[in-house]
Order: sequence, then structure tokens, then C-alpha cells
Amino acid sequence: MNTILEIRNVNKSFYQKPALTNLSLKVQKGEIFGVMGPNGAGKTTLIRIINRIFSPDSGSVRFDGDLMVDRDLYHIGYLPEERGLYRNMTVEAQAMFLARIRGLSKSDAKVKIDYWFDRFDINDWRKKRVEELSKGMAQKIQFICAVLHEPKLLILDEPFSGFDPVNVELIKQELSEMRAAGKTIMLSTHNMKSVEEICDRAVLIDQSRKIAEGSISELQDAQKSGLIAVRFQGNMIAFVNALWTGFVVEDKIILGDNRFEVHLAVRGESSFDDLLKVLMGHVKIEAVWEMRPSMQDVFIQLVQPKKEEDEK
Amino acid sequence: MKNSWLIAVREWRERVSSRSFIMLSVIGPLIVLGMVYVMFALGGQSKQHWNVLIADPGGIMNNKIMPQIDNSVTYAFADGYIEVDEFRDAKKYQKFDALLEVNEKVLSNKTGFVFYREKPSVRMQTRVHYQFERRLEEIVVKEFTKMSLSKFRSIKQPINVTFADVNDPEDEANDLSGWAGFFFGTLIFLFIFLFGMTVLRSVSREKSNRIVEVLLASVSPFQLMRGKIMGIGMSAFLQFVIWISIIGAGLYFMRENIFPDVMDASNINIEQLTLDANDASYQESYYAAREYNEFVNLVYERVEFGTILGFFILFFIGGYLFYSSIFAAIGATMGSESDGQQFVIPIVIVLCLSLYAGYYVMNNPETQMATFLHYFPFTAPVVVMVKLSQGYEVGHAYEIYVAFFVLIVSAFISLLIAARLYKNGILQFGHRLRIKHLFKWLKST
Repeated sequence: MNTILEIRNVNKSFYQKPALTNLSLKVQKGEIFGVMGPNGAGKTTLIRIINRIFSPDSGSVRFDGDLMVDRDLYHIGYLPEERGLYRNMTVEAQAMFLARIRGLSKSDAKVKIDYWFDRFDINDWRKKRVEELSKGMAQKIQFICAVLHEPKLLILDEPFSGFDPVNVELIKQELSEMRAAGKTIMLSTHNMKSVEEICDRAVLIDQSRKIAEGSISELQDAQKSGLIAVRFQGNMIAFVNALWTGFVVEDKIILGDNRFEVHLAVRGESSFDDLLKVLMGHVKIEAVWEMRPSMQDVFIQLVQPKKEEDEK
Repeated sequence: MKNSWLIAVREWRERVSSRSFIMLSVIGPLIVLGMVYVMFALGGQSKQHWNVLIADPGGIMNNKIMPQIDNSVTYAFADGYIEVDEFRDAKKYQKFDALLEVNEKVLSNKTGFVFYREKPSVRMQTRVHYQFERRLEEIVVKEFTKMSLSKFRSIKQPINVTFADVNDPEDEANDLSGWAGFFFGTLIFLFIFLFGMTVLRSVSREKSNRIVEVLLASVSPFQLMRGKIMGIGMSAFLQFVIWISIIGAGLYFMRENIFPDVMDASNINIEQLTLDANDASYQESYYAAREYNEFVNLVYERVEFGTILGFFILFFIGGYLFYSSIFAAIGATMGSESDGQQFVIPIVIVLCLSLYAGYYVMNNPETQMATFLHYFPFTAPVVVMVKLSQGYEVGHAYEIYVAFFVLIVSAFISLLIAARLYKNGILQFGHRLRIKHLFKWLKST
């Protein structure tokens, strides 16, 4: 059983306005799973349903193979988009309280607090009140409080918004290490670069519906344009002549020192291998690659047409 | 329940370690003790001084009234008649506080009239009455008997007639008892108000600092609300115990060390006082004791603290649950920490009305309205305290249990309604709370 979380045909609406429509998805153990979508798409509603803050109108949520129950929340860590701490509590008391309501015993909580405070080198802050901390320091505490009980599944809603760049890097590194340790991470974000960098798979939600799900490369492949990029040194006319009728130049970038990067569309039955054959001997090829869209492009391509349709 | 308990303990710790809790724990009971002290102390040491003009056209009193100087009253005599209007307006009489009119038939009709500018204290009235009466006794003894004054006074025994209610022959339900109940009712009001507002602030703060979503991922909204109400209620209870301990210790200390003579009715020996009537300082303590003995008696003897405290705790719990769930619901539905005042004010007004209801029932215990207020959950906690100290009629003690049952059922319903509003409102931010929101969230499952 590799699936840790399975959402089946979940529907949720608020006062007749749908927030999620017939949504299904699977999150595999040990992966970093991205939840993407424009504002108001239903990402936070989905996350709140997984955290049992909301209950779905219909459909089911299965955790580790079984229908999810309250006790499963002890195996989930959650860092919401709108996050905060008790301002007049000490850092240690706060961590202890949040660890206890996540099901840890007092002695276990103490061991975990010692471990994480050592790991983030924040032992000096133990007795400080949260109101005395800087925003960056508070962000570290928030993250620690979400992972303190070592959850099987960590859910992060917009984890990089509001965090300073140093903390963003720190958290990315922690997430990678957690994945290596077999933990599953689900993150909802607008930051497509982060999705591309750290996610294994992702789902794209728009206007309460799932519009795509798959590995990052699958999502990119589905939206790829079929263009091939070639970087070479030599004569541009010789290059164009060599292409003959199999390929058409779509775009070119002059790099200097008689070097060019050209984007080619493929015609008819021509293949990647054909291109290499026709060019060899005419120009000095530095690199050839199949052009893939960035996740930013994937996002825009999938969301934009739907919006245009709606506007019509 | 474990999660609610963890939340309750956190709330309790936060409250108990706050400066305002510690201040209120010390200052509150000290203010109450200070008020009791002032009531006792001022009674014995009143410095009110009166200038009394005695109009004695018949010369009956022979320009004499007291053999020794009384520091509280100075008498002057006038020979002729003085009209009340003249006394009131004439410049030469302005230095006098009162006019004692001694008519020529006073020895037969035994009546004097005192016209005052400002109403004197009961003590002053008693004093003037007493001194006038004693001077007339001297005259009567001299005019109509052959016995000595001391012999006359040893024979003279006042006949007291006490009017008593057949249902309450011990007069346990007099006004002062009602006031004691009203004091406890005010205490309940104060605690519900202070700690109800604490619930509201705590909920809205949790919402505005956004920790609430982290909590809701581990506990249900109902568990969160229940824990919060429990924790703050526990701190209120602790505060109450501190208040009662300090006030109890303070009253004991006062009785044993500061006012041992005034506090004990057995210290007053009327016969001895009669013989030593000329001793002004002794009279002073006699008057003080006579006036304040009732209050002392009330505080130390008549109020059944055990019973009242027992029911105080029950009705405080019921009233607190009832009101704090309303406060919690308002806190949860507010769009920001400063929002929602328009919904807080009506609740505070209702709470204040409950205080007035207590006052009303104290003065009109037998009316239908009083019966209604006794069972009405918004007013019951205060009103029951007043009724309890006034005493229930024989065979009607069950009424207090019925009131408690109604209050607990109402608190339960209030909790259910509040839980729904809490659940649907707690994750709504940035709006301006309107009545339509409340209806919408109430209807939503």
C-alpha cells in the first residue's frame, strides 16, 4: 500500500457556492505533492477537509488505507497559510502545548522539543515570549510546531509566503530531508518555481475542479509545444539550408561570437534523430534539447483557456 | 475531553499568571473589606455635630438639658415662640441645624417637635430624643413624685413591642438579609461579567492572531470552545476562592482584633448604661453599638455562609456557562478584535438588568414579576441569591432547585447554539459582523 492519502469524489459547497466539485486525488507515501491553483480555486478548502476542520458534503477521505478518523490527525502536521502563535506564551510552553494537542505525551514532547530546538539552534529562545521574537524567528517556531510530532503527512499551505528567503531555503532543505526519511509532504503554493524544484507530483485545481494531476514531468509533457532548441556555432544561412523541409525556425536568439540558439518546430514524420543527422557537418552543435514548458507555463496554459471560455 | 482539558489548562495558566488576575485577586477583596471596615468604624466615631435651638416659651426646661457637655450636640435656649418659617429664613437662626419646639403642654402630651435643615442620622435623632426625654424625666419626677431621680430610673422599665411576621417570627428575612443576598448577587454578576468578557477577548484574540486554524486541525471547534470556557471558569473559581478566603480572614481579624467591643452584642449592658448615662464616652459606644449591631449581627450571625456559598457556586457555574457561551459565540463570529461591540453591549445591558432585577426582588419579593425573574435564566443567578438570603417560605425550598434546573437547561441550549455559531464563524475573517451573519451561521450545519 503506497497511497497515504486518497480523496474520493469529494464535494463541498458554502451557501450554494461550490468550493470543491467531485474532486479525487491520491498522494503516495514519501513524495512531495503540490496543490496548485489560482486564488479561490478550492485549495484551502481541500486542505481543511483533510485536516477535518470542514467535513465534505459528500465523498470520502482515506488515510493510510482506511477511512479517516480523528485519531489520524495525530499523524498529520499542518502549517496553515494564516498562521500565528500565542503572543504572550513562552516559546517552550507554546511548543509543549501544540505537541500535546497533537497527541504526544509530556515526556515524548520534551524529547522532541529538545531535538528540534537543537537542530534549529534556538535553545536560547526557550524562555522568550513570542512577542519578543522577530518575524523570522516566529516563522521557525511555527514550522517546528508543525513537525514536532513527526507526522507521516505534513501539509503546508503557502509555506513560502511571508517567510524570509533564508527561512525559505531552510524549509526547502528540511522538506527534502523529510522526504528522504520517508515522510510525505503536501504543499499548496502559488510559487511555481518551488513546485518545479521540490515536488514529485502535483494537482491543479481551478474553480473547484481538478483540471490536471500527475508527476511534474507528465504535467509538463502534456503541455509541451513540440519545439526543439539547438545551440550552435557557425553560419546561420548554412544552418537554415541544412534543415531543408523537415523543420521550421520559430525563433532565434543571437548569442554573439557567431553563436545562436534556435527554436525549431518539427514537420511531418521528422524526428529528433533526423535533426541531428541533417545538421552534422554544417554547424558546430553545442546542445540540442526538447523544449519543455516551465510549471509557470503549465499553470497559465491550463488556467487561462478556462477563464477565456468563462468570459465568453 | 483530553484536548478540551489541555486547552482548559493552557487558558487557566495564562489567566492565573496574568497581572490583572493577581491584582484583582488582592484588590477586590480588600475593597470589600475596606467597605465593611468603613461601615463599622464610621459608626463608632461619627463626628457629626449639631447646633440645636430649643424654643421653650413655657420655661419648662429651665434652660437646662445636659449636665455635661456633649461633643456631638450643642443646645441653646430661646424663651418665646419661633415659627418654623422664621427659623428657616431668619439670619440669626442660620447657625442652628435644628429647632426643638417644647410646647407648654409637653408634660401631658409627651410630644416634642424637631425641625431640621438636613436630615440627621438615626444616631443623632436617637441622641436628641434621648437627651430631651431624660431632661423631661427629671422635671416630671420633681413635679409629680416624691421619689429620687435614681429611684425613678431604677423602677422605670421600657416596654418593648416587637411586630413579627407569622411566617418569619425570627425576622430572618428583613431588609438587611436581602442586602446580603444582593451583595452575593452582585458578586455573581461581577464574576460573570469579568470572566464572560475574558472568554470573548480570548476567543477573538485567538482568531486575530491566527493560531485558531492550527488548533482546529487538532481539536474540534466545540472542544476548543468547551476547553476555553472550562479554563477561564476554573480561573474564575480560583479567584472566587481567593476572595472568600481573604474576606473571611479579614472579617475574622476585624472581629477579634479591631472591633471586639462593637462586634459583640453581649458587651452592651443596658442597665449599666442607664446608670452611667451621664458618661458621654459610654453613651457614644452605646449609640454606635445599637445602630451597628444589626449589621454586625447580619455579617457574623445571621447570614448562613455555608448555604449561600454552596448555592452561590452552583448558580455561578450555571450563570457563567449560560453567559460565557454567548460571549464565546460573539467572539468567534467577530470579523476583527475591535468588531462586534454592537452585540456585546446588549448582553452587558441584560447583565446589568439582572442586577436591577435583584434589587427589585429585594424590595418586592412577593410579586409575580419577582417569581418570573427568579426562574428567568438571564436574571436567575442574581435574583436567587437575594431570595435565598431572604429565605424561602416553608415548603417552597424546591423553587431554588427548579430555578437551578431551568438555568442549567438554558445553559445547555445556549452552549449548543453557541457551538454552531462558533464552528461556522471561527474561520471567517475581515468581515463586519451583522445580524444576517449570525442567522446564516446558525442555519448552516
